[in-house]
Amino acid sequence: MKEPIARGRQSEADERAPIRHRWTTQPPGDTDEALAGALLRSAKVVQPFGTKNLAEVAARLRTRERRLPTKWAWQIAIAVGLLLFCGAVSAAVMHFLRVASVGPALSDTPVSMPTSGQVRRRHRVVAPPPDPAIAQVPEAPPVPGSTEEESESLPVKASPELPAAPLANPSALAQESRLLAGAIHKLRQERNPGQALAMLDQHRARFGAKGALEPEAEVTRIEALLRLGRHDQALGLLDAQVLTPAGVGREMLVARAELRAEKGRCGAALNDFNLLLATEASPDLVTERVLYGRATCRAQQGDWAGARSDLEHYLARFPKGRFADQARAAIGK
Amino acid sequence: MPLVRSDPTPFIASPAGATDLETLYRTHAPTVARWVARLAGPLVDVDDLVHEIFLVVRRRLPEFRGDAKVTTWLYRITERVAREGRRKDRFRRWFSRARHLEIQRTMTAPHLTPVDEFERRQASEMVYRILDRLPGKYRNVLILYELEELSGEEIATLTGLKPATVWVHLHRARARFIAEMKRDSGRST
Repeated sequence: MKEPIARGRQSEADERAPIRHRWTTQPPGDTDEALAGALLRSAKVVQPFGTKNLAEVAARLRTRERRLPTKWAWQIAIAVGLLLFCGAVSAAVMHFLRVASVGPALSDTPVSMPTSGQVRRRHRVVAPPPDPAIAQVPEAPPVPGSTEEESESLPVKASPELPAAPLANPSALAQESRLLAGAIHKLRQERNPGQALAMLDQHRARFGAKGALEPEAEVTRIEALLRLGRHDQALGLLDAQVLTPAGVGREMLVARAELRAEKGRCGAALNDFNLLLATEASPDLVTERVLYGRATCRAQQGDWAGARSDLEHYLARFPKGRFADQARAAIGK
Repeated sequence: MPLVRSDPTPFIASPAGATDLETLYRTHAPTVARWVARLAGPLVDVDDLVHEIFLVVRRRLPEFRGDAKVTTWLYRITERVAREGRRKDRFRRWFSRARHLEIQRTMTAPHLTPVDEFERRQASEMVYRILDRLPGKYRNVLILYELEELSGEEIATLTGLKPATVWVHLHRARARFIAEMKRDSGRST
């Protein structure tokens, strides 16, 4: 044990020994010391603190204040500004995306279903005698957007069945997005479908069918038209769409089916309702509307057994549903 | 003799007497500036740090009782301010590379050719990169010995260390410097 301690003491003693030669004064060579010396010599040059610097610092001291670090103040201000700008932009984008993707479900209030009487009047078709089992075809609920509380919104999201527009340049996209966001704001926040529609018209005039957000604009337009009670126009737009019962397509399909039923086009409406019911989906407001809507349409077409079956099915799944009372009344329960 | 004749107000007001402080500034500011440049490295604004140091001097002067030499006292303040300056500079460099380049330009020595100057600048940067990896007590002693060319005793007086401690620090600083230098050159090859 003695040897390492002795070596340690020796090493300590070596370390206390004064150094006689500076590396920086060593002649050039390949030794570590010579290389270190060469390196350190390069760092020896410092700018002299001349009379100009002396006077400048003295002047600063005379003011008894710290000099504002102007350059850094600017850079920090720019950085903070950029951060705020980026934050605002990302917040706006997030808000837009949230509104677009998680927006309220398409009118959980269905488009009004025509009563059997209305259909008969419209088409002057002599309907078959009603099934005594169904006392009365349920009355249709109010049209979406006709009252403030009931006005709901279409989710603005590009549906897979809508053709994807070619991506415009970023500035055009930004303008388009601003315009569309404005329209959605008018529609949803200010509840002003007229102005929303005007903005959508501007969008159409500026970007036409080639706009990158044209599908979203179209969905917003349909919602605005529904809120304005311009069902014919809304249906015209929906008729032009190829819809599949998934995502937003599901919402749009049920709206189209209801509008078709309202216009007495029960055959076309039934196609949509059947398509929706053929797709497995967890019971939701859309399913509720589909079951009730199909029952109404079936009743319009004289398919009393089918209508009854749908209403019973409806009551089994949604015993406290919003059309439960009408369904019970219709089947005499 | 006032530093700025045209201005009748003392530029450093202090209970200890404006003249003393003026003298202190006039006598020691160039040395302090050189210490700052050496200790803080090429990427700091020397004028700013000298200003900072003399603001501290003005504040602390009433407490200075003359137990230590004025140079020792000034060096200790300089060391602290330079350390703080380096810390801030690291943050600034992270923030912007522009300033780094700007300060490099101010370091240009006119008598060197652009190639020489470029090589010198690279080497100087490497020196401070290595020095920054050394513990502060080793780093400063090495700087004072090799760059400031002070003797062991002068370093001891300035830093308040015992001369034997200065040599121990210097030996260790050298060993670490060479190890770091080799590591750096190994990384670059």
